[in-house]
Amino acid sequence: MAAIYLVDVDQTPVYTHYFDISYIPSTVFFFNGQHMKVDYGSPDHTKFVGSFKTKQDFIDLIEVIYRGAMRGKLIVQSPIDPKNIPKYDLLYQDI
Amino acid sequence: MAPAQRCPLCRQTFFCGRGHVYSRKHQRQLKAALERLLPQVEAARKAIRAAQVERYVPEHERRCWCLCCGCEVRKHLSHGNLTVLHGGLLEHLASPEHKKATNRFWWENKAEFQLKEKFLISPQDYARFKKSMVKGLDTYEEKEDEVIKEMAAQIREVEHSRQELVQSVLEPQAVPDPEEGSSALGSWKGTNSLVASTSQQPSYLDLPLTPELDWMETGQPLTFIGHQDTPGIGNIHSGATPPWMVQDEEYSSVNQQIGPSYEEFLKEKEKQKLKKLPPDRVGANFDHSSSTSVGWLPSFGRVWNNGRRWQSRHQFKTEAAARNKQSCKEKKTIVS
Repeated sequence: MAAIYLVDVDQTPVYTHYFDISYIPSTVFFFNGQHMKVDYGSPDHTKFVGSFKTKQDFIDLIEVIYRGAMRGKLIVQSPIDPKNIPKYDLLYQDI
Repeated sequence: MAPAQRCPLCRQTFFCGRGHVYSRKHQRQLKAALERLLPQVEAARKAIRAAQVERYVPEHERRCWCLCCGCEVRKHLSHGNLTVLHGGLLEHLASPEHKKATNRFWWENKAEFQLKEKFLISPQDYARFKKSMVKGLDTYEEKEDEVIKEMAAQIREVEHSRQELVQSVLEPQAVPDPEEGSSALGSWKGTNSLVASTSQQPSYLDLPLTPELDWMETGQPLTFIGHQDTPGIGNIHSGATPPWMVQDEEYSSVNQQIGPSYEEFLKEKEKQKLKKLPPDRVGANFDHSSSTSVGWLPSFGRVWNNGRRWQSRHQFKTEAAARNKQSCKEKKTIVS
């Protein structure tokens, strides 16, 4: 069963800085204390930036992460359709 | 003895002459072979009434083995990019060579007469098949035309909706985001105005833009909370240690020993020793070559004893002590 925690970015500055959370909402996935990376087709694999289009997308993503983690993988491919993944600009200091 | 003859059905050489074909083994082999061929012929026969036409696929190159003629036959009939299913096999089955070969096969292998008809296709049946094939081709063509019309209608619809979207976006002013960098937004606006002026010519630039617009309009927009970069401290992308793996201050200063202390270790050693039984104990593992003392006796002459051995040993010792004392006293009295 996946546990979902809603974290306020203002109250966790250390983790916000570590995960480089510049846009909210951002979702970070863990399995057994291990941070899981997912290739969404976006530049950042460490978190899912934006909101999910449908509940089923979220459920599918969790299942893929779970299956990959149970096989010992640290990075998995996202099952979400690329058109449902929000686009954002990953600019570094406005370059 | 008859000369050696090879039976191709049983794939063996026999010396029985003509008697082999009547043997059980041969009949069994024959039955199995005909049973293998029958379903294919039946499928082809069904196709006589309703010939199916399909688009060509390399699978349609498959061949089938005709038992009677002893040759490979193409199962389906292909021409260009269309295939008539079971056409090839029907053509072969209707041919006169196949009829002759079937008759010979039946005579040589002494197969059941009634089965022969099932493996033959009459010329009338073949003519019927040809008619249904023509009909099938016509219906296939009609279907293809319909599919093409549908696709065209779909493309027209998509085009129309795209144009409508572009129009609706141009009308309201888009809100510029200061953090995003206005240059990117400006170029996007520029291309859109170009498209608006040449609305007759849909450019491929529209394609990556429209899905983005769809998503951003329907869902909630992202909130930017500021760049999280402090030059000194690393983050996940630079490979710094995660905050949960960083050692606590207090814990690192205090002793980092894990495991039992020396006293605890000695206590454990004592306990282990007590676990072992004493080596002189009477039991199965007793070492008979070891020297034993007088008090080792398994029993001390007691008869009705119940209770532990040490009780009888204790009694024996006290009695022995009393005896010794008495003998000492007697010795003294004699001497004196």
